[in-house]
Amino acid sequence: MKSFYCWKVIPSFLTCFLLLPALSGFSLTVHAQTLVFTAIPDQDETRLRQRFGKVATYLSEQLNIPVNYIPVKSYTAAVTAFRNNQVQLAWFGGLSGVQARRLSLGARALAQGAEDKMFKTYFIANKGSGLTPASQLPDSIAGMRFTFGSKGSTSGRLMPEYFLRQQFDKSPDKLFSRVGFSGDHQKTIELVASGAYQLGAVNYAVWEKNVAESRVDTDKVFVIWVTPSYPDYQWTIRGDVDAQFGAGFSQRVQHALLSMRSPDLLASFPRSAFIPAQNSDYKPIEQVARSIGLME
Amino acid sequence: MADLLFRLHDQRVERQGQQLLSDITLDIHKGERVALVGESGAGKSTLLRLLRQSQSLTTRSVKARHDAVAWCPQELGLVPQLSVFHNIYMGRLSQHRFIYNLLSLIRPQGRELADISALSETVGLPHKLHTGVASLSGGEQQRTAIARALYQQAEVFIGDEPVSSVDPFQADQLLSLIVKQHQTVVLAMHDLQLARRYCHRIIGLKQGRIVMDERASCISQNKLSALFVNQQQIA
Amino acid sequence: MRNNNGGSLVSGTLTQAGDYRRLSAVFLLIALLTVPFADLDITVMDAGGVLEDIAWGMVTPTLAGLLSVSDLLKAVCMTVAFALLALVLAAGFGFFMALLMRFTAVRFFAATIRAVHELFWGLLLMQLFGLTPLTAILAIAIPYAGMFARVYKELLESVDTGAYDALAPGSDLLSRWSYVRISQAWPQLRSYTLYRFECALRSSAVLGFIGLPTLGFYLETAFNQGLYSEAAALLYVFVLLIATIPLWMRASLWPIYSLLALYWLAPFQLAPFQIQTLDQTLLQRFFTEDIIPLPLRHSEQFGASTGLALWQWFVPIWSAQLSPGLINTLMLSLLALPLTGLLALLWFPATSVLFVSLPWRGVGHIFMVVLRSVPEIMLAFVALMIFGLSWLPALLALSIHNGAIIAHLMSRYSSVLNLRIDAERGINRYFFEVLPRVYQQFLSYLLYRWEIILRESAILGILGIHTLGFYIDSSFAEFRFDRAMVLITFAALLNIAVDRLALVLRRRLHKKTESVLSCY
Repeated sequence: MKSFYCWKVIPSFLTCFLLLPALSGFSLTVHAQTLVFTAIPDQDETRLRQRFGKVATYLSEQLNIPVNYIPVKSYTAAVTAFRNNQVQLAWFGGLSGVQARRLSLGARALAQGAEDKMFKTYFIANKGSGLTPASQLPDSIAGMRFTFGSKGSTSGRLMPEYFLRQQFDKSPDKLFSRVGFSGDHQKTIELVASGAYQLGAVNYAVWEKNVAESRVDTDKVFVIWVTPSYPDYQWTIRGDVDAQFGAGFSQRVQHALLSMRSPDLLASFPRSAFIPAQNSDYKPIEQVARSIGLME
Repeated sequence: MADLLFRLHDQRVERQGQQLLSDITLDIHKGERVALVGESGAGKSTLLRLLRQSQSLTTRSVKARHDAVAWCPQELGLVPQLSVFHNIYMGRLSQHRFIYNLLSLIRPQGRELADISALSETVGLPHKLHTGVASLSGGEQQRTAIARALYQQAEVFIGDEPVSSVDPFQADQLLSLIVKQHQTVVLAMHDLQLARRYCHRIIGLKQGRIVMDERASCISQNKLSALFVNQQQIA
Repeated sequence: MRNNNGGSLVSGTLTQAGDYRRLSAVFLLIALLTVPFADLDITVMDAGGVLEDIAWGMVTPTLAGLLSVSDLLKAVCMTVAFALLALVLAAGFGFFMALLMRFTAVRFFAATIRAVHELFWGLLLMQLFGLTPLTAILAIAIPYAGMFARVYKELLESVDTGAYDALAPGSDLLSRWSYVRISQAWPQLRSYTLYRFECALRSSAVLGFIGLPTLGFYLETAFNQGLYSEAAALLYVFVLLIATIPLWMRASLWPIYSLLALYWLAPFQLAPFQIQTLDQTLLQRFFTEDIIPLPLRHSEQFGASTGLALWQWFVPIWSAQLSPGLINTLMLSLLALPLTGLLALLWFPATSVLFVSLPWRGVGHIFMVVLRSVPEIMLAFVALMIFGLSWLPALLALSIHNGAIIAHLMSRYSSVLNLRIDAERGINRYFFEVLPRVYQQFLSYLLYRWEIILRESAILGILGIHTLGFYIDSSFAEFRFDRAMVLITFAALLNIAVDRLALVLRRRLHKKTESVLSCY
């Protein structure tokens, strides 16, 4: 049949229509005994993979079940994956943790870094901006080019915006000539160092680590102001893990996190130790998010 | 007289302000073989279409009525991308359910394959059953169109110059087939010899009017020539 | 100039050449008026340095720092599998809708789903299905089904229906369609569907930008981390994949490929992106709560007070996000339109037989294939690295990508022109012999691309410029799906409006448009 062999594609359509639902059905056969976790992508993906690859190995040894880390592209994706039970555990920032626990009822904060009780944001500036370190942000920053980190970041967006609004009583796009969202803290440092933005807001821990590893030229870019402290990063676990992995599972995860002692592991975060955390520790973050209109 | 098939009374057809047919009054009965003759532009095709549409006279159901007329238009109305088999099969598209038609489109079914293959040989298209119509010659395409009309196995055949592009020998053959298979035949013809040979009744058209309606046996050459008088003058 | 149909844009007395000039001038003028409001600064201090780094990366491609060969293969397979399955779904549903396009509701539905960009669908569906193959497949399939519905319908309508006349009219609609319309339109249906496969591959790769594990996922990482050599390697793989489609994609292989894709994707439900079950309560909550405007969410019945609350909820969204978003999106598209045209006019001779002889034409072809295979958002992303955040990267990306596509279409169109043997050569040939002959078609292509440029202008907001995509992305980042829905709806409406306007203009240009196929 030279003339009309093309009709043979019809079977392929039919197969696909019949089998596509299988893609959602397959999920039922999953062996549910792998713990999957993610983290907000606040730094280079390569470094995140290194850091959390080690964490996965550690948790797997402690919990005696396979543990996988999956990288995600955005803060939003991390929260979404948590909400959809694609991951059961996550290393969230203050804001993303609050959002995740609002979207996934029963989820709870397990542990935070010792530093996270008193976290800070550094405002960094390029030398060319003419800004100098001070106890308060100078009025001359008005009209400059400024970058946040990710839209969903606590130290890179929520808190700096809050303090900016407090001091200047203006929204950032009214205050600055240009407001960017670099995506992550590493990128913020690079963009301010290159002069693309004259100043930016960055997670203090990421900054300190970059300085310690001398990955940043402190002649070109330096800290001009340090915000007051606020609670930030934490490990959050879904409410239904005990049903899924057995009674007391969340306790075991918490215990494993709190007993993380390896300096190598801790340095990759970088944190000195993990301490217990609970949802109520992050009430201030929720209030700030409300006050600047990021949340109802 | 036998059953009345078509009755037109004082009909006119106008398109874009142009009078295509006027004062058409005409009865055609079951069993008649009618030829429409006249110069091109005289209104033969329009009259054939009018006849095809005017079938409402008969009292049968819509579906049966349509099936009762095999129609072979001058522009053939073939689907060039489809094979000879499928184009012939289309004659009976209305007699099957969609699913069956679809199956036949994907893979011709045995019964139809046998019937149509036999039919294609009768009209002189052996070995061309699975050839795309686009690659056939004009004459072969015309034979495909006739085969499609024959395949309908209707009682009435209406054809608009059905044998205009085949050679005289084949024209004879095809016309014999047509008159053999249909009780009633209405043909638009430009070949007067053929018209007289195969039809009982000759209707002459000129400028959209019926100017002659006679039995083929008693028609005179003069009368026929009068239909074409303009052309002769030009010649 | 072809003066065969004197359809005049403004009044019946003008010539068509006048129409063309007038239409071009209007668009140019609008673009010029837009310039003062556009933010076109170069904010990166050392743009040359970055450009140098990228150029160096382009000549030293490697995978070393980023991913293994097996990772790369997996990403390529994902990209292809998503595109394949999405296309099968889209073609099926699109065809079904094409048959029903005489119903206004179906037409409206098709227009709406295609007005929303794949990435927006991706962001939405991610909330329902997470980072799964299903999200990726549906994100591509839904808008593509809308496009297929329209194009299939146009193709099916443009066939010769002479055979209807010969058919016994008692036959049913579907039989008539399959024998007369579908059979005749089949070659065009097939070639259009195959062309859309190329687009689907691009869309599939782009979905990596929001986290689905396709080539775009790694490409974004590579560029973001300044790993330009790795980025180059990925880019080459992607361009190669698209350029070789004719070698490995055959209509007869669809069933096999589709089955392979399904079989291969099924386990990826589990890893790397695990999903335990589709959470019914989550789905329910999404539709009954998350996307319902906040004031309506907990109100028992709709009264005057909820109406007021709704209004008070909407006004700030309108003033802070919708109006700037809509204006910026439209302005960016209007700015990109003449630039796209300019680049197309500049580039099309490079691959046209009328101007360039073979060895150089080959080079031209390779250059243009590269430019048009790389999706706007990827180009914009690269330009962002070089120039910093402003409209400039977006503008360049939109004009380069779409300019290359139009140039390709025009060189194909001009290749069949029959010039006199003694026709002028060089620049005179361009302006006196060729340009007048192709200009009508050129305008038509450009108007057709306008809607696509607009869709992309909206999406480029995801990278940080303040078009609708920026605000939509923000709404998702704040998990305010009700706002996201409002913004996406307005983006769709803007798109539909521009689509209608472009269609009206195109119809006036030549009363009967050329085959839609020629205007992809």
